Amino acid sequence: MIGTIVRKEIVSNLLSYKILVVLLLMVLLTATSLFVMHRDFSARMADYQIIRPKPGQPIAVVPPNPLSIFAKGLENAMTRSFEISVIGVGVRAGQSSGNVIYAFFPAPDFLYVVRIVLSLVALLFGFDQISREREQGTLKLLVGGPVSRAQVLAGKWLGNFLSLAVPFLLVTLLGAAVLLFDPNVRFTAGQLGRLGVVLALALLYMAFFLSLGMLVSALTHRAATSLIVLLFAWALLVFVLPNLGTLVARQFVGVPSVRALSEKRQQTWTREVLLGISKGGNWVDRMRTVSRENDLMEEDYRLKFDRLVRLSRTINRLSPAAGLLDAATGIAGTGIDEESRLKAEVVRYKNAVLDQLIADQAAGKRDSQYPAFVYRPRALGQVFADGALIDLAWLAVFNVLAFALAYAGFVRYDVR
Amino acid sequence: MGQTLVAKEIRGHLLSFRFLAGFVILFVVVVVTSVVLTGDYVRKLDEYSARQAELDRYLRTYAHFNRIGGVLRPSQPPIPFQALVRGLTADVNMEGFDADPLPVMFPLIDLVSIVTILVSLMALILTYDAVSGEKEDGTLRLMLANSLPRSKVILAKAAGAGLALAGPLLVSLAAGMLVILVHPRVDWTGVDWAALGLIVLGAGAFGGVFLLLGILVSSVHRSSASSIMTSLSVWTLLVLVVPNLSPYLASFLAPAPSRIMVARETERLSDTDRDDLVNKLRAEYRGQVLKDYPVLAERLTEAEVKKRVAEDPEYRQAFEANRAAEERALAEGNRIQSEKIERIRTALRRKEAAQTRLARAISMVSPLADFSYLATDLSSTGTRNQAHFADLARLWGQAFFGDYRTKKIADLRSKDPTADVWNTAVDMTDAPRFRYVEEGLGGRVQTALPPFAVLLGYGIVLFAAAYVAFIRYDVR
Repeated sequence: MIGTIVRKEIVSNLLSYKILVVLLLMVLLTATSLFVMHRDFSARMADYQIIRPKPGQPIAVVPPNPLSIFAKGLENAMTRSFEISVIGVGVRAGQSSGNVIYAFFPAPDFLYVVRIVLSLVALLFGFDQISREREQGTLKLLVGGPVSRAQVLAGKWLGNFLSLAVPFLLVTLLGAAVLLFDPNVRFTAGQLGRLGVVLALALLYMAFFLSLGMLVSALTHRAATSLIVLLFAWALLVFVLPNLGTLVARQFVGVPSVRALSEKRQQTWTREVLLGISKGGNWVDRMRTVSRENDLMEEDYRLKFDRLVRLSRTINRLSPAAGLLDAATGIAGTGIDEESRLKAEVVRYKNAVLDQLIADQAAGKRDSQYPAFVYRPRALGQVFADGALIDLAWLAVFNVLAFALAYAGFVRYDVR
Repeated sequence: MGQTLVAKEIRGHLLSFRFLAGFVILFVVVVVTSVVLTGDYVRKLDEYSARQAELDRYLRTYAHFNRIGGVLRPSQPPIPFQALVRGLTADVNMEGFDADPLPVMFPLIDLVSIVTILVSLMALILTYDAVSGEKEDGTLRLMLANSLPRSKVILAKAAGAGLALAGPLLVSLAAGMLVILVHPRVDWTGVDWAALGLIVLGAGAFGGVFLLLGILVSSVHRSSASSIMTSLSVWTLLVLVVPNLSPYLASFLAPAPSRIMVARETERLSDTDRDDLVNKLRAEYRGQVLKDYPVLAERLTEAEVKKRVAEDPEYRQAFEANRAAEERALAEGNRIQSEKIERIRTALRRKEAAQTRLARAISMVSPLADFSYLATDLSSTGTRNQAHFADLARLWGQAFFGDYRTKKIADLRSKDPTADVWNTAVDMTDAPRFRYVEEGLGGRVQTALPPFAVLLGYGIVLFAAAYVAFIRYDVR
């Protein structure tokens, strides 16, 4: 029975103007986004070939991550080259551009398309599921038949989910397959698995907005009212809450500004150099002082920043869009935690290089060869343990809740 | 008659659920954002003065000319407008090790994002069924059966919706401003108020574009259900897609070489390539010198050369000609290489500027980008301010490294001619400090005019199209 309803929903969707518009939008945007972000990745790769360190150079650079085509996250910050010198870590080459327009608008990666367009599309599929059939008078007939309301609702949900998910998956997989033709984009099996997890998250996210649409539709009698409620709810969930949440968190956790940190670093090393020249004494001690003070500052900053991130995450959990962004960038390896970890590794590498430098100088050795910087991204299990699992569970809870409430609303719905 | 129509439209909006919902959400979000952003601004003020105090302490004890450039970098103090518009003054920093990645992931909300997303959405929601809805209700027929020109009807619809949108926007903004002004530490000057007035005017034009878009789409479609689909798709493209794609498209259409590549190339040109060139030139010049002074062909040790230079004036002349040739080779090599480098850098700058211009032009197809440029430039948080800041920084640099440093170093040398003036601690608390002054309103308005004109042009075109579509509308 449920199969019939699913089929009916799919057929009626296929015949509608809605699916035409929506499919066009989805196909166009996903394809454009993958194309554009792939070009962006290739540019990063070309830069990496230039800045990658020669053996023995004390430079820390990680290669670009092909998953950043899908979820760019903090990739730009992570692929910079960190060059170690006696005064600390210097960022010499980052992929920067003179084109300031990049700074105005967020990157249109696949995750952006999912977060914003796919959620809107799912709402547009859900908003009139019940109220429209009531307005057309078919709801009476449907419920009058030998089907339970639960079956009607489940059938409707499944039918609409399939009409959305199938074209979405087709476009995405096709796009990913085209990407594989580029020899620079070498996905490892693990990365393909991660991509699969991101896709599953995207589907879960889409399912939530579909259920939300059906929920509001089951609570209102007119499709127009339902749409208005949903559009405003969508704007709040996707745009306002996540961005306001991080700002609110800043009110409670004071974090030194980036500017303050870099000014402090400058003051520290120039002071030590001056003291070294005027007072003389051991250069090694001066170097160690600079390194220690910077590390202490960095450590203090990390503690505060982690607290800020945790708090803003907790606030942002109100919005599934923020959860999706955190979880998907985490899984792709371009998230906030990964960037923090990379920087901590760079600091550790700096200390190892300094130790060797000091030892080599004491031994009178010239042309020191330093070990290469190796960074291993967190394993998928670790990413889940660090918070992605909570995001995933939370998204599932949102889903179940929205569907259960939709059911409760529909059971009490006056079909006349 | 026109008044009756407008009054009817406004009444219709005021009584509607969508108006109420939009109003409440706009009001709450604007007020909450104002509270949070004001707190943020005050925190930034404190942070800025703490940083300056730290810098003062350093300048008193440890300042020395050799490394002062990195320490005394001009930095922009928070401006009162940041309690409303955040603009480009974010903490995202790609040039140094310290960077705050949160705003990259979650662009912070401000008046600009509220207006661009919420107001445009509300405008569409108000008008997506302006014509098609009345057709479905059957009231359109009745209305047009009277002696009413269609032009008046559509004009009244636009005016009614415009007023219905302006009300909530102005009320919410007034409440937000009240929150900001009640705070004792936020000072708004007359110029700030004028700039805010102009931004609100721009917001009005921006909202108007989407109202007219809704009316146009609704007078093209027979049913409200398809009308909302079309309006939302167009909205998505204009607001959420075109601006974000524009820099990437521009980089495709007007490519500029990567800065990393250029840096590597210029490094090579001024290093190994220069040495090769100098060696080549040196050989060439020396060949000529050798022709003129065959005595140089003799192979002598350094000591012998010295001896001969002292004794033999002819040899000395030859020796000096040789040295001059070597110096000439070095100077010539340096000149050629720095010309090459300068050419590459100029080409890069030119290409980047062309790409930026193109990206800006593409993005200006989107009313959201138009409004963002208009609002950030008017509030001195946009690209114009970056250029203005760079100018101020240059002037300060001249005052500091030109006048102040020259004078101080002369002072130091007069006291002790043998002192290492570069690496001696000098109390620099009396040095000219970088002071940021906002640019006058005139220049800011000038930059804001083109995006404003685009918004107005959009409005006129959309209204004309809506009029034509409505004239041809089948009211049955």
